[in-house]
Amino acid sequence: MDLHEKRIPIIKIRDFLIVSIQVDMHDKLAIQLQSQILEEIGRTGAKGVLIDISVLEMVDSFIGRMLSGMASMASIMDAAVVIVGMQPAVAITLVELGLEMPGVDTALNMEKGMEMLEKRLKDLEHNFF
Amino acid sequence: MSEPRNVKNLKDRINRIEDILASVAAGDMDARIETEIEDDLSGIEAAIDLLIDDLTDELRQREKMQKELETKLKEIQEQQRTIVQQQEDLLELSSPVSKVWDNILILPVIGTLDSQRTQIMMENLLQKIVDTGCTISILDITGVPTVDTQVANHLLKTVTSARLLGAECIISGISPAIAQTIVHLGIDLSTIRTKATLQDAMIYAMKQNKRSDEMKVLSRNALSDEKED
Repeated sequence: MDLHEKRIPIIKIRDFLIVSIQVDMHDKLAIQLQSQILEEIGRTGAKGVLIDISVLEMVDSFIGRMLSGMASMASIMDAAVVIVGMQPAVAITLVELGLEMPGVDTALNMEKGMEMLEKRLKDLEHNFF
Repeated sequence: MSEPRNVKNLKDRINRIEDILASVAAGDMDARIETEIEDDLSGIEAAIDLLIDDLTDELRQREKMQKELETKLKEIQEQQRTIVQQQEDLLELSSPVSKVWDNILILPVIGTLDSQRTQIMMENLLQKIVDTGCTISILDITGVPTVDTQVANHLLKTVTSARLLGAECIISGISPAIAQTIVHLGIDLSTIRTKATLQDAMIYAMKQNKRSDEMKVLSRNALSDEKED
């Protein structure tokens, strides 16, 4: 791994992964993050991923597609992705771009996103037993 | 060799005419030839004086008109500014988003919707959702007489954007006319939760609230159970 390259930290808490994007995303970083998260899901067996994009002020169609693509990839790996703290301008941009992200769960803030994931985990347990 | 007196005199007079015309051209509108001699040339001189008089009048009138026009233009610009300002104020005023209950925002829409207004409405609503952290918002369009494709599209976009933020947006008070238009236009609102009246929407929102509160309690209990285990 190149030490000079910027990496977005992925934090594991209980069954969840927390990813807080705090730098401007460029395409390479996005692709790297995508594979990084998927690898981490595979390695840790996490059941949910929280992606905090509250400091992201701009997205382009590539990042938008990457986010929704990651959600479907993660759901194949049996992990739910919740995107947290999207800014209004970003939401409007995504809708204008036609990226309505139908399969992706969203939450207003980290707390609500965590609740959502917990609920999902609980539902899973109920169904299992 | 001396010239005959009248020839010299004639030269002087022509020079004077030239001088006067030059000074008029330079902008001195008070210059006149004002000859006292009565002969063939004096007619021309008088005619030139008259022409200068006319020209002066014309110029004065033109200046006056220009000034009037300028003041009128200023007035119109002032009015235009006021109109724009008022339009902006009206747009701001026409989309009040208010928090009516824990976790519930209401945006009542009254009057005809156009694209610009819906755009501002949408931005206001989304900003308010982020500011207050409310997860349920009700878009009440009881007071809207008609919608067209563009406006319906904007409403859809608002709901979708709210969902992307992590909030649910309910549309209430769709009038029969609007329902007909929407179906005739072939707009699919099936992905959007619509309620008949504001009351229904409110009841639904409160139920959702209750459900999420119960969930919170459940997950908290689950957490403490885990700790006890």
